Amino acid sequence: MLKITIFLLIISMLTTSIRMVFRATIWDKLLALNLISAKTILLLAVYAVYKDNIFLLDLSISCGIIGFLGITLLSRFILRGGRQK
Amino acid sequence: MISNLLLILSWIYIIFGIIGIFRFSNMYARLLTSSKIDTAATITILLALMFKSGFNFFTLRLVILLTFVLITGPVSNHIIARSAYLNGINLKGEDKK
Repeated sequence: MLKITIFLLIISMLTTSIRMVFRATIWDKLLALNLISAKTILLLAVYAVYKDNIFLLDLSISCGIIGFLGITLLSRFILRGGRQK
Repeated sequence: MISNLLLILSWIYIIFGIIGIFRFSNMYARLLTSSKIDTAATITILLALMFKSGFNFFTLRLVILLTFVLITGPVSNHIIARSAYLNGINLKGEDKK
């Protein structure tokens, strides 16, 4: 069961990165960053339960923090008038 | 048993997430659906993992992870939408595919 979840998560990450990153606007890329960081949190959590390794869960929490910080700072940079497409 | 059901539910959410990215042409519609479906998939998967791993330190970390994602997920999506709106993407525009 968990294996199929991991497989589906990887597929959704691939399609997100391929489809969204090559779009014109910056906010599509930001949205892709948000989606992929959320998916990595899920992937790490599912893999941690799959392998019964408890340290991976701490990794997924820190990955969530980093993803969230990245998005806030990037959007502030864009709001301040970074390079506009 | 419950965790398997929840896992199947999360598969449906993930598949809809993939479809949601391709369909919408308007920027905000895409942003809304993918973020909402993404948060829903996160909730179901983490609940399924909680049921699966019983009551030990795993579930404690999973609870922390769930609350964290519940707080930061929508907030980060709001930040993206706000920066898109303030920088001039009109709401009803049909932007290019």
